[in-house]
This record gives sequence, structure tokens and C-alpha cells, in this order.
Amino acid sequence: MKTYLYMTLLPEALVASHLNPEDYGAYLATGTQKRARGQAIFFKLTDGYAEQQFARLGIGSDLGQPGGPARRSSYLSIYRVLEQVPLTALESLHLITEDGRNLTLKPGTYESDAAPRMHLYQEFCPVTPRVVSTLDPKVFAARITDLSQKVSLPAIVFAELKLERLAENADAPDVDNLPYPNMPHLRDCLREFYTKPGKSTKTVIRFLQQDVLYRTLRKGFYAASAGGGFVYFPMPSKDELETTYYHWWRSAHSTFGG
Amino acid sequence: MRSLFFKHLRNPRTAKYYLGALAAFFVAAFFARPLFAQTADVSAGAPHGHSFKYFGLFTDPRYSQLEICSLLIVLAIAFAGLAYAYMLARQVKAADAGTPRMQAIADAVREGANAYMGAQFRKIGPLIIIITLILFFTTQSNEIAFRFGRAGAFLVGSLFSWAVGFVGMRLATTGNLRVAAAATRSYGEAMQLGYRTGTVTGMLTDGLGLLGGTIIFIAYGEQAYEALLGFGFGGTLLALFMRVGGGIYTKAADVGADLVGKIEKNIPEDDPRNAATIADNVGDNVGDCAGMAADIFESYEVTIVAAMILGLATFGHKGVIFPLLVRGIGVLGSIISTYTVKAGPNDTSDTALKSVHRGFWIGSFISVVGFFVLGAYYLNFDAAYLAANPMAMAGFPGGDPSALPFWATLGIHNADMRPVITCFIGVILAIVLNKVTSYFTHTSYSPVKGLAKSCQTGHATNIIQGFAVGYESTVATVFVIAGSILASYLCYAGTPPLFVAYGVAMTGIGMLTLTGNTISMDVFGPVADNANGIGEMGYDPVEMEKQEKGSYRRARQILSDLDAVGNTTKAETKGIAIGSAVIAAVSLFASFIAVIAVGSEDKISEMTTRQYLAEAGNLSVANPMVFIGFLIGGAVPFLFSSMLIRAVGRAAFLIVKECRVQFRDAAIWAGTKKPDYGRVVAICTVTAQKELVGPGFLAILTPILVGFLLGTRALGGFLAGMILTGQLLAVFMANAGGAWDNAKKLIEDGHYGGKGSEAHKAAVTGDTVGDPLKDTAGPAINPLIKVMNMVSLLTLGLVMKYNVIDPSEGGSSRIIGILVVLVCAVTIGWAIWQSKRESSELREMEAQFK
Repeated sequence: MKTYLYMTLLPEALVASHLNPEDYGAYLATGTQKRARGQAIFFKLTDGYAEQQFARLGIGSDLGQPGGPARRSSYLSIYRVLEQVPLTALESLHLITEDGRNLTLKPGTYESDAAPRMHLYQEFCPVTPRVVSTLDPKVFAARITDLSQKVSLPAIVFAELKLERLAENADAPDVDNLPYPNMPHLRDCLREFYTKPGKSTKTVIRFLQQDVLYRTLRKGFYAASAGGGFVYFPMPSKDELETTYYHWWRSAHSTFGG
Repeated sequence: MRSLFFKHLRNPRTAKYYLGALAAFFVAAFFARPLFAQTADVSAGAPHGHSFKYFGLFTDPRYSQLEICSLLIVLAIAFAGLAYAYMLARQVKAADAGTPRMQAIADAVREGANAYMGAQFRKIGPLIIIITLILFFTTQSNEIAFRFGRAGAFLVGSLFSWAVGFVGMRLATTGNLRVAAAATRSYGEAMQLGYRTGTVTGMLTDGLGLLGGTIIFIAYGEQAYEALLGFGFGGTLLALFMRVGGGIYTKAADVGADLVGKIEKNIPEDDPRNAATIADNVGDNVGDCAGMAADIFESYEVTIVAAMILGLATFGHKGVIFPLLVRGIGVLGSIISTYTVKAGPNDTSDTALKSVHRGFWIGSFISVVGFFVLGAYYLNFDAAYLAANPMAMAGFPGGDPSALPFWATLGIHNADMRPVITCFIGVILAIVLNKVTSYFTHTSYSPVKGLAKSCQTGHATNIIQGFAVGYESTVATVFVIAGSILASYLCYAGTPPLFVAYGVAMTGIGMLTLTGNTISMDVFGPVADNANGIGEMGYDPVEMEKQEKGSYRRARQILSDLDAVGNTTKAETKGIAIGSAVIAAVSLFASFIAVIAVGSEDKISEMTTRQYLAEAGNLSVANPMVFIGFLIGGAVPFLFSSMLIRAVGRAAFLIVKECRVQFRDAAIWAGTKKPDYGRVVAICTVTAQKELVGPGFLAILTPILVGFLLGTRALGGFLAGMILTGQLLAVFMANAGGAWDNAKKLIEDGHYGGKGSEAHKAAVTGDTVGDPLKDTAGPAINPLIKVMNMVSLLTLGLVMKYNVIDPSEGGSSRIIGILVVLVCAVTIGWAIWQSKRESSELREMEAQFK
């Protein structure tokens, strides 16, 4: 039986499992008794890296403790996991809706926006604030993983969320389709970039309090590590979401998040 | 021997045969008796001293050849409406039925709907036959023809009403699949199929309603009162049951599916893993399609019954024939206008909606022109006519038609165009009520926009604001209805009140002229909704995309657009249903006073103005009995609504539990195993049938109880109170529910944060609260109002004789009154207790969940 190695983002953990990514995602989202539910986001790590880790940790094919019962999944690590995993081991990113539908994102080529704009980033790992920034994703990633800075991280996974017309103008009217809580505060945070031109990032929410609505994702997810490592996992186009990935997209629209 | 007979009767199977045979006997008697049995006996109640003869108008010299031909033409138009419905049904059935996967889903919906209708028929069938017998034996007239007329017409009216609901629903469950299949090819084809599916039900309503009224008049002539009342009561009672049962079913399934699917499991609507999905789709058909069709059918019947009864008592036979001819024109207008509703292959929701509205306008134009032409030729009251029908003279200033002002004659000598004008007021009323409903429930206007805005501050503010919108909408609707009654009154100002009531009844006739279009618009809603569900569950995106790139997305978009159009058209027609209930009730109320005034239904056409005014003057709230009746009548719609809303909650509770159990099956959750849809369908069916009993008995027995216990004046107060609060409550519930629903849709379209936002959560709460109000309790009040009116009229003769307070038959007859009161009180008490008690089937189901 094949054993997969996953790195979950919420919570940050390394998990070995006999379940393939679709089944593991459904399991994470809905639980075995179907009483629990919740969104899940995780990376599938490459088979090469997985074998290497299993060998290092002495994980057998039954995934159980020595002398214990066999298990389908087993936590291998739950602390400072992301910084231990090389970005090259991130094979695919899986976005699981609350009812367990899976969307697989593969790494792609990053292209920055043609014109400067403001961005809204949701960090997922290792910390979970929501911040606004004038920096584009690659620059933001480099900035946050620059260990010479006072506030920095050895590695980060984050996604960009839609700001619609607020990206150009913090006072723009008619941005009705943004489901974020406390919109006036978000506008205030964006306005600070006008009043304090030297400022490039500003925290909007200190930590993630509820699920992120997948419909608010812009472009995709980013993983970065100290030393300039950067991987981009692009979202499919709206056309593809509405046809090829229709069931996932419809399920994503049923979610109540923030 | 006797005990053997009763033993047989107690056996449900044997009893079913007995009851079936009885029903067949009454239907056969109703249709065959006029053809083969003629009586020469002098009827006690026959006006002008004529003996009663079936089809007497064919030999009555007062009827011109042209009038008789016109009646036969009306009959032919009724058949033409039915033939048109048949032709459209064949077109729908001949359309492509999609893939086997789609057919499997449609079959499940159809089977569920059929199972429900079958169960309902088994449940209420015996009751209908028992009521038929009661009507036969309690008819006040000694003339056997009238007894058969009242009882047989009741049975035929109820069968017609059931047929409209059943056939309409059957076709809707056929059409939904064809619409889903057509959406893979063209917008226009899908839209046309959906609309024509609705038109079949509309034309069936038109055809059967006109057929029933015309046949009764042709057979019974000027003595059609009893048969007309029976016919109206049959249609109304069935409509009540179909509205109540369908309303409970549809909302229990909808709320249950939403609670467990959308709220608990966060899965989309119509997700095939949700065991309640099929029941939800079945509910759309039995509630919005069968229920609404039966509801409008009974309005159609009751308005024509009211107009014919009042027409006879005021203008004589012209007053009866004119509404039938108007209805005939309306059917023709509907046939022509519904056929013009079309959409192109690349049309959008907006253009489709315009096409539907254009059809309505074309129909209105044809009808109004037809009314005026007909009125100019037919409503001619010359001296000979007035001599033959002297009661008509009271309708003209100084008894002279030529003394009418210009606007009432349009310059035509001896013509009276007031019935035409009041019909026109009715057409305007239908349009204005549509607009008022639209204003308070559509996303384009400030009430719903404000409601959506209030969702930003939470669940409570949304509920509070929704109440405000609902309350305000009742005021606007009351003003519109009161305005139309006032306009009708002004047309007949200076004439006796019965003439005014005839004007109001003609407003009802005008209002429902385009019933064919109205029902087409209404039924299109559930058909499009179901088609969307079939698309969601039955389309194979991979296969469709393989065959033609982008085809899946396009088809889904078409179905989604059609669903939006259907939601709009369905909402627009709700105002007409309640408006027609009030107009019909006001007209029937005049008949009620007239019967008390003359002491018998048979003598209504002999009533004098003085008698009418004297009795109407007694119905004052200064009279304590009237006021007590008024208070009780005002409370009944609340008890009725409470029973229905509670029923939805109870049924939804069981559905949620059942779905939760099924979701625990990993294979169902993974989508690799089909849930047991049938079990949820069974829960809905059992619950809806059980819950029919309480409200049904409440509607039938409360006026009897009040009448026999407190007398005729209290019964008059009872009717007034019930009409007032019933109308207010119905409009409030329908519009508040509609506004909450559309506020949610507005937010889902990307306002105030869109889907998933805090505002959206508050909007979902409002929508869930509003669901049983707008689709169960609110619509069921329309038939409630009419059932109570009809029961009051039908039992009035007996109430006058045997009531406890002031029996006309003397003190000893009080014993009968007391017995009736006891039976009614015990039965109503039992019905209320029964509606709160959990049946053994439900307890058994709940035990299985533990």
C-alpha cells in the first residue's frame, strides 16, 4: 500500500497517510463519522522526499506505533514543519472545501502585475495574519523571509485575496462583493499607505478566525523560504473553474467563511 | 345482516369500493340526469311559478336564439381551451427527453410526486364523498334535481380541481426533464417548452372552470344557485387540501434539505448526495404547481359562481350569461397570447421576461377590446327585457337605462356598459396587484434593497426589517383592493347593494380573465427550478464538454437564467391569488346577506332592496353577537397559520434527522452510492397527509360551529373578521417571505459582501424564516377564506332553522343545533390535538433514528 506524505497548513503538520490526496482531503474536511467539518489546505510532498523522511523517522508501512494497531494516517511532526521542508518537495497544493471536494494546484510560472497596486494577503503558515501591502507577492515573500529584518519568517505560505477596485483606490465605492468582515477597517488600513508613504505592509486581522472563502482568492498561492526560494501555485481561470472544476467551484461557493 | 354490512364497511378495502361506487353514482347522476330525467313538478323555490326543467332555457322564450348560441359557443371555447392544452401537452411530451441519467432523476421526482398525489387522493377521497352525501341530504329544496345538482356539482368541482392539480403536476414533472434537455441546445427552445408546460395547466384551469359553470347554467338555468354553490365549494375544498398538503410538503422538504445540506454540511443546492434533494424537487411540483393551480382554479370557479348568483338576482339571465361570455373571451385571449410567448436561441433572462410580459399584455388587450365589443352588443336592456326581468329595473336611475350617464352607456342606446367597466377595473386590479407584489418583493426596488442592507447588521435587524416590509405591503395591497371595490361601487352608486356586489363580482371576473397566462407564469417557476435541479444532478460535464467545448457551461447558464425568470414570474402571480380571494369573498358576502334577508337560498332572486338593507343594517359591530363573531373570525386565520407552520417545523425536523443518518454513510458522502431519496419522500408524504386533517376540519367546521352556536349575525361578523385578518395575514406572509428570499438573492448576486459574508448568513436566516410563511401558510389562507365563505352559504339555511340563539323553526329545534355544536366543537378540538400529536408512523420513524 502506498504511503503519502502531506504537509497540512491549518494546523501546520507533517502527516503520513495511506489515503490518496482526494480521500485524505475528504477525510480532513468531514471526518470519518461525518459529524465534523472544516476547510482543509495541504501540500502533497514528492515521493522522493517522502521516502527519505520515512526512512529517517523509521516509519513502517502500517504507520502505527511499534506493537500498536495499523493506521491509515499518522502525524509525524506538528511544530516548525514548513521551515524544514524544501520548496522543491512541494509537489501539489490541495484546496478542500467543507464538504470534501478537492482542487489540485500544481506549481506554475509567476508573472507579476503589469501596474503597481495594493494587495491583500492571507498568510496560512506558520502564522495566520491577514495583511495589506503595496508589495507584489514575490517582493512581499522576499521581504517576509528576509531573516535580516526585525520581523521575518524562515518560510511562509500565503495567498492573495481579491481587493477588486480597492486595489487602486481605498475609497472606491461599490465593492459590494467582498465578503470580508469589518470593511471600514480594511479601507482604513489601505488608506494608511496614502498617509504613510514609507509603509509597505499593514496588518488587518492578527490571526485567521474562520475559513477563507475560496471565491476570494486572486491568482493563487505562494510558498517562499529564506534565501530566495519562491513557488507559485496558480488558480485555474474562471472559465476552467466553471466547467472543468465545476463541482469544486460550486461547493466553494456554498461555504460560509470570512 | 346489518352487522355484516357494517363489518364490510369498516374494512378499508371494501369501504373504498363502496365510496368509489357512490362517487361514480353522483357524477353519473350529475351529468346523466339532466339528459334523461325531466321533472314537471312545481318547484317550491322556482321563481315566476315555473316548473323546473333541465335545459329549460332552450325552450324559455326570454332567451333569444343568439343567447343560446352564445352559450354553446362558450361551451365550444371551453373545449377549445382543453384541446389547446392537449395539443401543448403533446408538444411537450414529444420533445427530447435527455440522457438516461437525466431521465432517472426526473423519474424519481415524478414517482415522488405521484406517490404524494395518490396518498392525498386516498386520504381526502372518502371525506369528499361523505361531504357529497351530506350536501345531498341537507339541501333545503324539496326538488330532487337540486339535491343532485348541489351534491353532484360539488363532486365534479372537486374532481376538476384535483384534475387541474394532478394533470398540471404530472406535466410539470414531464416538462422539467424536457426543459433540461432543451437547454443543452437552445435558450429559446428551453424557455418555450417550460412556458408551454405551464400553459397546459393554465388552459386546463380555464377550460374546466368555464365548462363547469356553463354546463351548470345550461342545465339548471335560473335555478342554478345550489349547483353553482356546490361546484364552487368542491373546487375550493380540494384547493384547500392541495394548498395545505402541498405547502407543508414543499417547505418541509425545502427547509429540511437546506438545513442539513447548506447549513450543516455546506453542500450546494440540489447536491445529489443530499437525501432530501428529490423531495425538495417533488415539493416544488406539489406545492407551487398542483397547489397553486388548484388555488387559482377555485378562485376562477368562485368568482364565476359569485357573479352568476348575483347576476341572476340583479340583471336576470343577462347578468349570468355576460360573465360566462367574458370568460370565453378571456380563454380565447389566453390561447392567442400564450402562443406568442417565444424566445430566440441566444436570448437572456431580460428578453425572456419581456416576452412573457408581452404575452400578458396581448392577452389583456384582446380581452378588454372583446369586453367592450361584447358589452356594446349584448348588454342592451330594452323595455321588453326589463318587463320580463323587473328586478333589473332597480339597477338603473328611475328604472330607465337611458337615464344612465354617458360613461356608463358610451352613447349606445339602452346599453349598460358598467359590467364591462367593472371587468376592466378587474384587469387593472390584476396588473396593479402584480406591480405592488413586485415592488415589495423584487430586488430592483427599495424594500428588498433596504432589507438586504439591514442584513449587514445581523440576523435580528433583517427579521425586524422584514416584518416592517411585510406589514407595509399589506397596507398597499388593501388600498389597491379597496380602491377597486370603491371604483366598482362608484359605477353602481345609487343602486341597491346587490348591484354593487355584482359590480365587485365582475371585477373578480375581469381580474381572472387571463388565468391561462397567470398560471403559465406561475407553473413556469417550478418547472424551471426542477429543470435546473435535473441539470445539476443529471448533466455529465465531461461528456458534454467532450462533444462540444463550452456546452456544459452554456446549458447550466441557460437553466440558471430560466430559474431566475421563473422565480420572478411566480412571485408576480401571488398577488392575484390573494386579491381574487378577497374580491370573491366580498361578492359572496353579499349573497350571504341576501339569503338571510329572504330566509332561503331559493328566494334570493325575489329579494327587495328594503329587505337587503334591513338585514345589512343588522350586521353592525354595535351588536355584541356580530362583534363576538368578528373577533372569532379574525382569530381563525392565525390558528390555521400556526397549525401549518408548526407542521412544517415538525416535518423538517424528521427530514434533517433522516439526512444526517444517511450522510453518515461514507459511500453516500463520497458520491459513490445513491442516497435513499424515497425515504425522505415518504416522510414528507406521511407528514403532509397527517397535517391536512386539522386545518381541513378547522376550515369546514368553524363557521358551522359559530353559526349554530351564535346565530346568523355572529356568522356574518365571523366572515367579516375572517376576510379582513385572513387577507392581511396572507399578504403579510407572502410578501415578507418573498422579500426575505429576494434579499438573500440580492446579496448572493454580489452585494453587501456577497455569498459567504456575514450579511449573507443573516439573509439565509431571514429566508428560512420566510419560507413556511410565503409558501405554506400564506397561500393556504386564500382557499381558507373561500372555503369558510362557501360553507357559511351552504349551511345558512340550516343555521337559520336550527341555531341555538334564535332558531326560525322554534325552540325545540335548538336540540339539533346543540348536537351540531357539540359535534363541531369536539371535532375541532380533536383536530387541534391531532395536529400537535405525533402519529405512530412518525414516532416509528423517529425511533429508528435513535
